[in-house]
Amino acid sequence: MTSTLLSLANIEKRFGELRAVNGVSLDIRENEFFALLGASGSGKTTLLRMLAGFDMPSSGHILLDGHDISQVPPNHRPVNLMFQSYALFPHMTVAQNIAYGLEMEKLPRTEINERVDEMLSTIQLTHLAERKPEQLSGGQRQRVALGRALVKRPRLLLLDEPLGALDKKLRGEMQLELKHIQNTFGITFIVVTHDQEEALVMADRIAILKDGELLQCGSPHEIYEYPVNRFAADFIGVMNFLPARVDSGALRAVNGSRIAAPLPADLKPGDNALAAVRPERLRLGVADADNCLNGRISAMAYHGLDLHLHLETPVSPHPVMVRLTADAAEGHPFSVGEEVSVGWSARDTRVFTA
Amino acid sequence: MTNRSSLRFMLLILSATFAFLYIPISVLFALSFNASGLPTAWTGFSTHWYGELIANSDIIGAALNTLIVAIVSTLAATLLGTLLAIGVEIRRRKGRVLETVIFAPMIIPDIVLAIALLSFFSMLDFRMGLHTIIISHTVFNLAFVCAVVRARLKSFDWSIVEASTDLGATPPITLRRVILPVLTPAVVAGALLAFTLSIDEFIIAYFTAGSGRDSITLPMQIFSMIRFGVTPEINALAVLVMTLSVVALAISQRLNRGRLPGQ
Amino acid sequence: MTDRKPVYLMTPALAWLTAFMVVPCLLILALAFFRRGIYGGIVYEFTLSNIALVFDPLYARIFLKSAGIAGLAATIAVVIGYAAAYAIASMPRKRQPILLFFAVLPFWSNYLVRTYAWIVLLNREGLIVSLARAVGFDGDLPQMLYTETAVVIGLVYNYLPFVILACYAPLSRLNPEIHEASRDLGASEWTTFRRVTLPMTVPGIATGFVFVFVLSIGNFVTPALLGGGQFQMIGNLIYDQFLTANDWPFGAALSMFLIAIMMGLLTLQTFASEKASGQQRAEVSDD
Ligand SMILES: Nc1ncnc2c1ncn2[C@@H]1O[C@H](COP(=O)(O)OP(=O)(O)OP(=O)(O)O)[C@@H](O)[C@H]1O
Ligand SMILES: [Mg+2]
Repeated sequence: MTSTLLSLANIEKRFGELRAVNGVSLDIRENEFFALLGASGSGKTTLLRMLAGFDMPSSGHILLDGHDISQVPPNHRPVNLMFQSYALFPHMTVAQNIAYGLEMEKLPRTEINERVDEMLSTIQLTHLAERKPEQLSGGQRQRVALGRALVKRPRLLLLDEPLGALDKKLRGEMQLELKHIQNTFGITFIVVTHDQEEALVMADRIAILKDGELLQCGSPHEIYEYPVNRFAADFIGVMNFLPARVDSGALRAVNGSRIAAPLPADLKPGDNALAAVRPERLRLGVADADNCLNGRISAMAYHGLDLHLHLETPVSPHPVMVRLTADAAEGHPFSVGEEVSVGWSARDTRVFTA
Repeated sequence: MTNRSSLRFMLLILSATFAFLYIPISVLFALSFNASGLPTAWTGFSTHWYGELIANSDIIGAALNTLIVAIVSTLAATLLGTLLAIGVEIRRRKGRVLETVIFAPMIIPDIVLAIALLSFFSMLDFRMGLHTIIISHTVFNLAFVCAVVRARLKSFDWSIVEASTDLGATPPITLRRVILPVLTPAVVAGALLAFTLSIDEFIIAYFTAGSGRDSITLPMQIFSMIRFGVTPEINALAVLVMTLSVVALAISQRLNRGRLPGQ
Repeated sequence: MTDRKPVYLMTPALAWLTAFMVVPCLLILALAFFRRGIYGGIVYEFTLSNIALVFDPLYARIFLKSAGIAGLAATIAVVIGYAAAYAIASMPRKRQPILLFFAVLPFWSNYLVRTYAWIVLLNREGLIVSLARAVGFDGDLPQMLYTETAVVIGLVYNYLPFVILACYAPLSRLNPEIHEASRDLGASEWTTFRRVTLPMTVPGIATGFVFVFVLSIGNFVTPALLGGGQFQMIGNLIYDQFLTANDWPFGAALSMFLIAIMMGLLTLQTFASEKASGQQRAEVSDD
């Protein structure tokens, strides 16, 4: 178990009436790759700006290595921010941009040059060292912004939507590269993103924010498999929700059929609930499945590796999504309007308070 | 608007307008190289009148005064106006009154500012001369510099200021190493504009120059020469003055990314 | 960002403007309410007589005359300037900046020199007379220099570039599709111009008109050079009070009126452009 680097204790930020960040408490560990995930306006940037020192929390404390840094100005924090817009200095070359932060530390010139060269080769931009930002591609700018923050060897690097401006393919590559760089430097990263897939791929741990509040914090596996409530479940990946009622120790769907699932202790008979199951957990046929469901195909979408079916069922007002792998779909010439049966096991079912 | 006859009509309007705008100026230009110096007859190309100019010590003296006024007031206005622009843009949301004070020097009629300053200086028993012209020119020049710099600041990416702070810079260092260098083209453009305005400014200089002959500026000199009537020397002087302002403006507008001041 | 930094940046310039613009202007304001001494100078005694004097028929006439000349110059400048701006805006997009640049360029050359050019053209041995003689005309030519016409020409000439600039701005922002939509709905070219283009470009026209009017009415160089002292405009009148008649309080009162007129017009103009832009918003949301 590694030690805690950063502790947020009951952080709150108000803009007038609006609580942009509302009572967030979090511990971030040394060398962790941490992702802050949330919809637009959920308070991610606000939280990050408080960590960097550009905004002061309305209440609560930020502890770095056990010291309260809430009141330390941004230029004195061992924390650096990589801006969403990159915020490169347009009048400086790539090398000068990277050297800037070291010059502020008043390091000797030779050391600055050494560290800049080293950083240039890490981000693979040695050949472009003398270019101005406007002469760079989007991906190259992103790397300069990263290098400029990283070269200061901060205790904590904050990245606001670092890959937001890149196209899909480049994003994929950069996700791996970011992770690789974080590993080599051993610096704690906090990455803001609204892309849940990106968070799942890169992060050691993920925190989900909703309307300024922390919904859940955990490893990608925990977050994906064991969402704490229906919002967390809805936010990550695709989830089928089936409205249900607790009826003397069993769960019943709206048509009265029984849903086999582990029931949370806080649900009492008569309570409304939601049963949830991921599309990829649904299988064709009902042999040896704990739960089964008949439905009519209302739409189909072919995605290459897999096939998505939308089923109209008696148990849900919304279509139930089924995701079949190419193998599983092999030999089934599905057509819209066709009746199919799908099944899933009790283990794969989550139950939430409605 | 692509109709053929209407396009021809538009071209006609344009030609007429440009003729109206440029014929008077071109006439001066041609006359300044006319050996006789008179509009009545072309007697051959000559730079004679430019030679006369250089030999005229009144004109040279006035030109030097103008340069001193323009350079000093431009420097002062550039410093004050740039800082003002940055300050105003940082806290833009507040202060309507402030805006009025900043815009006023640009819209107030020259004659009013001129007499206001004259009254002010004479009531304070301020000895008037080149220095009072400089002070007065700085008033409107700083407003113009401020306007040009603010126009640039509208598209300024303020996140680089935060980036600089984040990388460890104090506010004065950020100002010197990030904000000012990025603004340099606009600042230079504003300075050139101020320089042009100052070189050409007549009324305010006329009222605040005091009575001494040694604080006469070029426009004041031109004004009194014109009052005496048409002389070939003025043609040459006019062409020189015009060329100087136009060159300064052209550079200014290049630096200002193709935007004309005031646009 | 702390609140103190911007203040600290603005202080020097604001101090300068306060000392050398606000205070002198307030001084003028105060001066208008003092009495003139017998030998010039100022007697610090409150009076409204300077203000009253402005309304004296003798001076009121000069005010009206100046307003007439300024209004005429502004009208002509707006008509020519709007036509020219419209023509520029209907040229290919790529050409427009350079055309605009050359239309505005003369504005940045010396005002005295531009005025002087008209002396060269209009005077009795000037270019126009010489040309007339050269083509064999030897009748009597009317006096051209030192007339009201000369003053109006000079004012129009000097301020035309600004009007072109002011009118071009809204014209260039006009979405060509609006024009096409109107044509598509069956309006003729002229109706389209009158019902669509013109109303949407009122702010530019208002700005141009007010600018020329304000600068003309307070002008002192053009009447002095092209009017040849044949008549006075407010600018000359103010000039005289300070430099020849030595009646500063009256000069101050005149300046106050000039500023009042100017502020009134600028307010009207702001109002006009706000109304026009409100109309535009309404039109957009109507669609
Ligand atoms: N300076 C401010 N003044 C007032 N409200 C603000 C300010 N900054 C942010 N907010 C509000 O706080 C809330 C959270 O904003 P924030 O920028 O943190 O969202 P975000 O999660 O980063 O969203 P996005 O993904 O769109 O960047 C929003 O409702 C926003 O409008
Ligand atoms: Mg954000």
